[in-house]
Amino acid sequence: MPAPFNPSPFKLSRRQFLATAGALLLGAGLGIHPTPAAAFDPQRLRQSMQQAYGQSGLAVLEEWFAMLERLRGQDVQMQLREVNDFFNRRIRWVDDMVVWGEEDYWATPLEAMGNGRGDCEDYSIAKYITLKQLGVPGERLRMIYVRARIGRSQITQAHMVLGYYSTPNAEPLVLDNIAPSITPASQRTDLDPLFSFNSEGLWAGGSSESRADPLARLSRWRGVLERMQSQGFI
Amino acid sequence: MSLGTQSSEKKSLGTMSLIKQLWLAIIVLLLLSFIGSLAVSITSSRDYIEQEVRIKNSDNATALALSMSQLDKDTVILELLVAAQFDTGYYRRITLRDTDNSVLIERSAESYQGSVPQWFRQLIDFDVPSGVATVQDGWRQFGTLELESQHSFAYDALWRSTLELAGWFLLAGAISLALAMAIVRGIQRPLNRVVAQAQDISAQRFTTISEPRTLELRYLAQAMNQLSANVRQMLNSESQKLDELRRRLQHDPVTDALSRDVFMGRLSALLESDEARASGLMIMVRVSELDKLNERLGHQATDHLLRTLVMQLAALDTTSEAPLIGRLNGSDFALLLPLADDVEALKTALQQALNNTAALANDVGLPAAITPYSANDQRGLLLAALDDALAEAESDSAYHRIVIRHHQRHALFNTHAEWRRALDNAIIQGPQLAYFPVVDAQNQVLHYECPARLALGEQWQTAGVFIPWVTRFELEPRLDLAVVKAALAQLEDNSEQRLGINLSIASITNAQFVTELRSLLEGAPILAAKLCFEVPATLNASALSGLRGLCNTLRPLGCQFGIEHVGADFTKLADLHDVGLSYLKIDSSLIRGLDTSHEQQTIVRGMATLCHSLGIQVIAEGVTEPQELMYAFLSGMDGVTGPGVRL
Repeated sequence: MPAPFNPSPFKLSRRQFLATAGALLLGAGLGIHPTPAAAFDPQRLRQSMQQAYGQSGLAVLEEWFAMLERLRGQDVQMQLREVNDFFNRRIRWVDDMVVWGEEDYWATPLEAMGNGRGDCEDYSIAKYITLKQLGVPGERLRMIYVRARIGRSQITQAHMVLGYYSTPNAEPLVLDNIAPSITPASQRTDLDPLFSFNSEGLWAGGSSESRADPLARLSRWRGVLERMQSQGFI
Repeated sequence: MSLGTQSSEKKSLGTMSLIKQLWLAIIVLLLLSFIGSLAVSITSSRDYIEQEVRIKNSDNATALALSMSQLDKDTVILELLVAAQFDTGYYRRITLRDTDNSVLIERSAESYQGSVPQWFRQLIDFDVPSGVATVQDGWRQFGTLELESQHSFAYDALWRSTLELAGWFLLAGAISLALAMAIVRGIQRPLNRVVAQAQDISAQRFTTISEPRTLELRYLAQAMNQLSANVRQMLNSESQKLDELRRRLQHDPVTDALSRDVFMGRLSALLESDEARASGLMIMVRVSELDKLNERLGHQATDHLLRTLVMQLAALDTTSEAPLIGRLNGSDFALLLPLADDVEALKTALQQALNNTAALANDVGLPAAITPYSANDQRGLLLAALDDALAEAESDSAYHRIVIRHHQRHALFNTHAEWRRALDNAIIQGPQLAYFPVVDAQNQVLHYECPARLALGEQWQTAGVFIPWVTRFELEPRLDLAVVKAALAQLEDNSEQRLGINLSIASITNAQFVTELRSLLEGAPILAAKLCFEVPATLNASALSGLRGLCNTLRPLGCQFGIEHVGADFTKLADLHDVGLSYLKIDSSLIRGLDTSHEQQTIVRGMATLCHSLGIQVIAEGVTEPQELMYAFLSGMDGVTGPGVRL
């Protein structure tokens, strides 16, 4: 249907136009930038996926959306289990060197799902973001650097898992990609925790809006958060 | 500093002068760039500092939390760790809270104040979040570490750089204002010239100016100069047309001498007038047996002879532009030499002129007669005397004999020394002013003509008596100054009416006279505005430039300027277009018999039209009859004067 001709209600006189242009110019000079809208945006995610990984990636993404739908409002235990399984099943563990050609690349969930492969931190990040998306409070989720002993050998490896803290001083539940089931931390004798972090406190006032910091790229964690934001996760 | 015109202060912003707008624009531009760059510099510095401090907060919090996570969670050890970090680093606060958010360890310091004013602090107001990291105890969280760096020093640094920037801008502002002043001055001077020219033109003074260097102003000046030139050209061609018409009507077609009626009219007007030219010498020359000469030489040669005679006679009058030569009948020619009085010198010159003419053919008889004339002589008697003398000359055998008929003239003084003494005394005693009203069509007085009278021989004498002697002794500037003083004295008693004063050509070309006149008038500016200065129409080039200079000098005082005794042969109107004259007085020779002569009416009307196009009033002189007065106004005169004018 052709749109009826509608004279613009914002017809500006020349003077008004000049004043507006001048104000914008001045504003730009003074560093008042409009902040880009940042929120969960399925449409943008689809576009990003389509562009980067084509139809196969899109299929995984659709499954992810379906899971989100299914788990929304369910109890936390079920959400943890389903999300843990989803990523453990969908993503094959590969070293970063193989996938990304660099020592330690932190992939966004979209990149991990698109590739179908990932490193331990890629699992943790994907689970972290998905659970947050399902409404699990951010402060209960922490990414934990652990020292892992492989099998019964004495070989140890740097590893990362996602911990779920029902209260700040509780013992966490561990979401891992080596052991497929979720277990309380005390039962994971193969893991020695070292340090933990999450995205709380990274952003001023706990808001999920980035301050459009050009330095974000220089930090791995901040970098991946930035990328997720641009892809439409948060 | 005064910018623009003086009246512009009263004007609203809407009619602000160009120069003022220019200043305003420059100042606004300077302020804008200052404020803009200050804001940009402060904002970007602030952003940079905030970013740095944020990174430091975050990194240090993480590093400290990482160290703590590795240690035993012994309070002393943790406190030592926090103290060590706090004491050796630049921190405002380090807090360790347990998982219930209660403070375990805290170290804090006062923020540094420095010399930064409070308003600046509030304006900048760094917003840096504290760094937060969680301390881990095995799988469990032990607590949260919050860390804030000391960033007050940044206010100090920012304040100093702002001051420096402001200093620079003051300097740059001063320099650019100085530059702007130079530029504005450069525009203002030619602009003022152009404005003055525009005002001149609107006052119908068609002046020209030198072209300014600024391109736009140059175009403007060129256009206005062109306008002035066009007006001048138009006036030139119009007055030439008028002159041609006059020649056709008033001159003898063969010799270009005046026709009899016109000459007689001029002579009568001269004799009846009250001024200097009312006395002088008159010559009459007869070409004997013109018919026979005509038969003998043929028409062409005879005409050539007559023309030569007229030219030779005209050359005798060295003072006026248009010599008064008339062809009274076929063979008689008359020449008037106003102001001349040396009969013997004239006789010699005339003899030479006649010899030159007679040399053109054989046997040409050119008898001549000379007689002085003076004011109030009867025209008839004068001509009769000349006829008589001519008859005597003709009867003589000599071919060109000159007979001098001395007039029985009453002489006031006998020697030059006596005249000189008498004139000096009379000027010192001061002249008396006569009053002749000049009225417009409603019989309202425009001004009074005030010819001077001098006390000579215990009587007040008119100009005709003393002017030749004043001229001879070059006393004109002194006399004219004395007349102006007398007029000012008159105005002090009664400043109701304008007074018209005659200035001689010798005076207006005299620099000292102009200076003295100016200082005299500047001493009485209110009275000076009531004066009209009149100069005779016998203006040569230097007199013209003198008049122009005098006008420019005295116009600011409100004085008016006019030219008197303007005859039909006056072709200088085009040269007067930029002088700023108030009026022109048409000589009585053109006015006498105006009611009966169609030709005169045509000429007078043409002159009036031309003058009106320059904003100059036209006044008829020497009106005697009511009919003349009526026709003068019908012919476009703005005013009349003469014996026929009654208040």
